[in-house]
Amino acid sequence: MAPHHVTAHVTDPVHPSGPHPTDGSVNGVPIPSRPGRAVPADGELPEELGVFASSDDLRAVAEASGLRQMGVRPPLGEYIRSVWARRTFIRTLGNAKAYARNQGSYLGQLWSVLTPLLNSMVYVLVFGLLIKSTRGVTNAIAFIVVGVFMYRFFDSSVSSGARSIKGNLSLVRSVHFPRAVLPVSTTVTELATLAPAIVVMCLISWTSGLLPEYADVPITWRLLLLPPAVLLMWVFNTGCAFMVARWVAITPDLENVIPFALRFVFYASGVLFSVTHYAGHGPIAHLLNYQPIAVYLNLARSAVLDEPTIPVDGVMWIFGAGWAVLFLLVGFFIFWRGEERYGRD
Amino acid sequence: MSIPEEIDFEVDADELTPLVDRDRELGAPSLVVDDLYITYRVFGGKRVAPGTGTPPNLLSRFLSRGRTHVGGITAVEAVRGISFIARHGESIGIVGVNGSGKSTLLRAVAGLIPPTKGSVYVSGDPSLLGVNAVLMGSLTGERNVMIGGLALGLTQDEVEERFDDIVEFSGIGDAIYLPMNTYSSGMGARLRFAISAAAVPDVLMIDEALATGDAAFRKKSKDRIDAIRDQAGTVFLVSHSLATIESICSRTLWIHQGKLVMDGPSDEVCAAYKAFVKAQDSRG
Repeated sequence: MAPHHVTAHVTDPVHPSGPHPTDGSVNGVPIPSRPGRAVPADGELPEELGVFASSDDLRAVAEASGLRQMGVRPPLGEYIRSVWARRTFIRTLGNAKAYARNQGSYLGQLWSVLTPLLNSMVYVLVFGLLIKSTRGVTNAIAFIVVGVFMYRFFDSSVSSGARSIKGNLSLVRSVHFPRAVLPVSTTVTELATLAPAIVVMCLISWTSGLLPEYADVPITWRLLLLPPAVLLMWVFNTGCAFMVARWVAITPDLENVIPFALRFVFYASGVLFSVTHYAGHGPIAHLLNYQPIAVYLNLARSAVLDEPTIPVDGVMWIFGAGWAVLFLLVGFFIFWRGEERYGRD
Repeated sequence: MSIPEEIDFEVDADELTPLVDRDRELGAPSLVVDDLYITYRVFGGKRVAPGTGTPPNLLSRFLSRGRTHVGGITAVEAVRGISFIARHGESIGIVGVNGSGKSTLLRAVAGLIPPTKGSVYVSGDPSLLGVNAVLMGSLTGERNVMIGGLALGLTQDEVEERFDDIVEFSGIGDAIYLPMNTYSSGMGARLRFAISAAAVPDVLMIDEALATGDAAFRKKSKDRIDAIRDQAGTVFLVSHSLATIESICSRTLWIHQGKLVMDGPSDEVCAAYKAFVKAQDSRG
């Protein structure tokens, strides 16, 4: 077999390097190649072509040609920069997915408001009219509606974050981008879904105050605290999404455990009842009060409701910010550590 | 550079333009693959042990039956020790029977599947064009162009700037404003090709993408591939159509069971591969 065109030039002496490298070498580093071999006889499977140059030689050629190694984990700083550079992609992908949720029906995007409205109607009917329990608060309907909506934000962020690598495997295997884009874009999707739901949540809470047995839910300056509370929770959710995304990508079985863990958090966070009312003021109550989800529910409730037991509390805000930053940093780090494995496993 | 408009996809080599510029000057290496291994984890599969003469005893048979349903993980070695160097301005075909690891090799080289062992060095951001590249079916073609472009690393402005070109190249017209799940498979593939070709990468990989689309579109895509090659890029093409490979690629790699068995000029490798397949056919 005539040596093919790559081998043809390889015996050239090293040329002085210029703007256009010569065929046989690149920037003074010779390019190794395979020796020619006879064309196989009719219909025979040729023997395997193995390694033709040492790894060091090949790396030297790659470095001399300015090539970049693929499939390795980039340094943390570079990784953060590349994720930041994709922020438009994150936003577009996240919003597009939120939009796609309500496609394929006559009412289309109207469902982004109708779904939370129907959802809260269930709670108003069950807890407002069927089970008349005060739960230690003055307006149980508003208390529960705010709790449920904020908890669902966390719940759906974690569940869809868990699937963000596994469920987008074909995207991961066809386009190259920092994989951290996927968990963030799922929490952006949840945030975009939450936005219309929050308006419904505030309206239902205010309306419940008109019922005779329930305390008023006035519109005050405290409502301005709701957006920062939601944003802090979003940062916290993103950190959680990073962690579960890595765990589920490496060990798919964990996806089956997550719903139970979430249900446990649901009951431990005082979504339907006031933790202080049932757990008293002991050390366990402190633990339950200052765990992240309870903190974010408290922040949202203090902004929307007018409960004497849930005042605006500076300590809660410090905890809210602290949990958010801590989970984001730890979650991002955990996710980055697995970057070179996503897509193969 | 023209092919008859009425031809079907299953073409003979002489119906496509013969490759005239085989002896073009090659540039610096654009891709170095060093002893690459890719091993997949496959869950729920049955582990097939290489035949040991003695039949297993009852206990181990019972245990192994359980392993299929609980904790059944099989390591599939899709690529087993492949090394080669590609240069700027080269177009390389990859042939091999189904399941020989062609697509896996392409994805690994594109940095999409991290290597289990060995290294891959690439110039710039390689881009993979496949019929499987996923866009979002429930969204319009217009939105998918934006998502696809951003995923490839273009900025929002760059995508908007190239939007008309992409739509024109894909040739799907007003259908761009309809959800993508209403597209025929050919229309979807054309849009994907158009999106991926919008960013001119240093290394372009095409996985069977040319198999879809009509003659006119195939001519357009071939022109685009030539243009990328002229800008000193490297093109990889996986295809079962040897005619396509021979007409587009100057060099061909033959992969068999995850190993590289032949690497040389397309006509030689394709002839040897064709003879091998024919021999297999008559044997089986």
